[in-house]
Amino acid sequence: MRRTSTTRWLLPLGVAIALVASACGGGGDAEPSSTEAPAAPESSATEDSPAAGGTLRVRIGGDVGGFDPASIFQIENQSVAGHVFNGLLRYNEATNEIVPDLATEMPTVSGDGLTYTFTLRQGVQFHAGYGELKASDVVFHYERIKNPDTGSRYAAQVAIIDSVSAVDDYTVVFNLASPNANFLHTVAAFNQGWIVSEAAVQDRGDDFNLNPVGTGPFEIGEYIPGESMSLTAFEDYFGGRASLDEVVFVVIPDESTAEVALVNGEIDAIFALSSPDVVDRLRGNGDVTVHQRTASFVNNLVLNISKPPLDDVRVRQAIAHGINRQAIQDDYFRGLRGSADSWLTEAFQEYTDDLRTYPYDPERARALLEEAGAVGFTFEITGPALVPYSEQVVFVKNDLDAIGINTVLNIVERADYGALRASGNIMASVTSVTGPPNPENPLVTLFASASAPPGMNHGSYSAVDDLLAEARAISDPAARAAAYGEIQRVVAEDIPAIPMYSYQLATATRAGVEGYVQNSYYTFYAYPITLR
Amino acid sequence: MIRYLGLRMLSAVPTLIGVVAVTFFLLRALPGDPAVILLGEFATEESLAALRAELNLDQPVLVQFSEYVRGILTLDFGNSAITRQPVMDVLRPAILPSLYLALAGVGFATIVGVPAGITSAVRQGTWIDYTVMLLTIGGISFPVFWVGLVAIVTISANFAYFPATGSGVVGDVASTVRHLILPAIVLGFAVAAYIARLTRSAMLEVMRQSYVIAAESLGIPRRKVILRFALRNALAPILGVIGVSFAWAIGNAILVEFVFARSGLGSLILRAVSSRDYQLVQAGVLILAISVVIVNTLLDMVNSVVDPRVRASTMGGR
Repeated sequence: MRRTSTTRWLLPLGVAIALVASACGGGGDAEPSSTEAPAAPESSATEDSPAAGGTLRVRIGGDVGGFDPASIFQIENQSVAGHVFNGLLRYNEATNEIVPDLATEMPTVSGDGLTYTFTLRQGVQFHAGYGELKASDVVFHYERIKNPDTGSRYAAQVAIIDSVSAVDDYTVVFNLASPNANFLHTVAAFNQGWIVSEAAVQDRGDDFNLNPVGTGPFEIGEYIPGESMSLTAFEDYFGGRASLDEVVFVVIPDESTAEVALVNGEIDAIFALSSPDVVDRLRGNGDVTVHQRTASFVNNLVLNISKPPLDDVRVRQAIAHGINRQAIQDDYFRGLRGSADSWLTEAFQEYTDDLRTYPYDPERARALLEEAGAVGFTFEITGPALVPYSEQVVFVKNDLDAIGINTVLNIVERADYGALRASGNIMASVTSVTGPPNPENPLVTLFASASAPPGMNHGSYSAVDDLLAEARAISDPAARAAAYGEIQRVVAEDIPAIPMYSYQLATATRAGVEGYVQNSYYTFYAYPITLR
Repeated sequence: MIRYLGLRMLSAVPTLIGVVAVTFFLLRALPGDPAVILLGEFATEESLAALRAELNLDQPVLVQFSEYVRGILTLDFGNSAITRQPVMDVLRPAILPSLYLALAGVGFATIVGVPAGITSAVRQGTWIDYTVMLLTIGGISFPVFWVGLVAIVTISANFAYFPATGSGVVGDVASTVRHLILPAIVLGFAVAAYIARLTRSAMLEVMRQSYVIAAESLGIPRRKVILRFALRNALAPILGVIGVSFAWAIGNAILVEFVFARSGLGSLILRAVSSRDYQLVQAGVLILAISVVIVNTLLDMVNSVVDPRVRASTMGGR
């Protein structure tokens, strides 16, 4: 009665139109094109103050979890900690050169390379009235990290320290178990290198984790879980009070939302950008500056050289030649990744490009496979369920299938992946070794037999064990570079892990944010920034 | 009334115990060692052992459970393995934003969905009916995070009055409301679709009944027939879906929270599961279970107020 013959087909037609419309509008990108017109940023939120002062709002992709140097991890926490703490030494933001921070100058090293003596600056104050930094604080800090009862994740990093002692109030002496010039990295201002106040740790106990006390240019301020972490300028900072009054880290998980917030003026900076679409649009926006540099890490396809036929170097070389890494960098990552032929990048002082490389050459790859008699072998790659790693392996599989390797992808949840990767039982994993620009970080983690298992040296590759031990004892920069260069050359011949790409760090700042220098390890440092 | 409420709360306790127990044992059945996840792969064996002892993970599961229950009885829900804070301190700031979002979202969905469903039912077969049905298909099919992103990119980007992120300044009513508008509409759009469709079906069902036809033929104004006779009798399933949607929205608005950068119970619990922060997950799930119990109780009470037959059987009967 109510449904006439005309209306009978109207509903299905309407549905069809709606589906088609939503497919056109919603297919692929979620963003319609109306964002191309650069919106004049609402100035209601930014401060129009003269050169000094102001609040800088920086986006972080996840909530912070704690800042105790003994247990700190993840870039959000490390970014906050970088403002709250100092180390004996620190990295120059632009060049990664190690320079003095709380120490007055580089340490004196004994002839046998086992004793390091640091002279501390005098009059350096801790936050919240916890008094002057003394050598006893430094001693307390490193002993705490070494102590197994603390349960620090960096205990292994400081295991090389046999003993640390305060000769007087401003002199600290470290005795190492063996000579290791990379000890300078161990005490550089990152993770375990950030010095805490002994009195504050004892006072605050567990609360120290979210209310830390250091000597840095900013003090810890208000924490709203899941929303924001504020830092306020420390008036008595030994390096001179910061220009900014406040730095607020704002949690915005989705990058597209963060982009709108930046353009709107709700925030002032976004670091560690990972979406090529967002980066492209921000580059096109006249009110936003996109900074870019090469990070100090590389993503690897790590092969288990103990699992046949991966024990045959020709098979590994075939895989290296068989993956079109350039296409993955250009087409999938669109500029947010660069080429890598080594496991170090230009951000390292010890980087070299003088080594064997594996350009994309499918014919060569197939020939090597035939020579090794391994055509058609089943190659299982284990990866974490995390974009982009779960997606980049699809390209790898395509390329390897094409040269005659039967590639199988095993994508698992992150916690599971960690366990599998450490087990030593998988054939290949997708792994980056992140952290400060200490060459031992990637080289020891991936290629020292002591790292496995548990660890990322799946097949217990050991060809460079001796070279690593020799290199770490060298302190002269030129000789170091040569020694680590040799290690990279040897590993490039054996190719137990294939460098897939280097990370390109992209940070976007609004007009008015000046003086920002991007470091190479994915954290944001606001001390030099002035807000116009 | 007090007696009724008391009995309801008491009968919920076995449910809550069951929820807590299932969560507890399921968490420990998950692969992945929390100590390794918290300390990283390069942690020394001593550090891992120390952390496992601190988190009670080296004990047999049943012993861990009895420790946990003993803690709950003294209102000690444990500390977050990551931030070391008491879990309730971590969860408490997320409760209000989740509650507001659920209230505003489901409230918006009700205000839009119920009248839409009624109109659709009353004008069944007309253009209005088809339009509403089309929109509801959109609400059910379009992924909520896509709707959210579209809202941010089209509305927030052009009208700074509608913020793209956050829940606003705590305690500032105006700010909180302003930050709720877009997320509530986005969440509500999806929920309104279900409410509208269900309202429509329920109304159609009831309007076919003989007493409605009798009321019409007695000359009672159409409006009164619809609202007083039809709607009132169709209300039970409608209230049901509203209540269930509300209980769902408190803990499951994760995608909306993600897109609009709001903190919320669902997001916190999800993050805690990924990092194997057992205590936080357990406490969070317990809060959600309690909220579901409360919502269900309120729902039954509203039902009994609206429907005399229910009132008689639940409260009079006991």
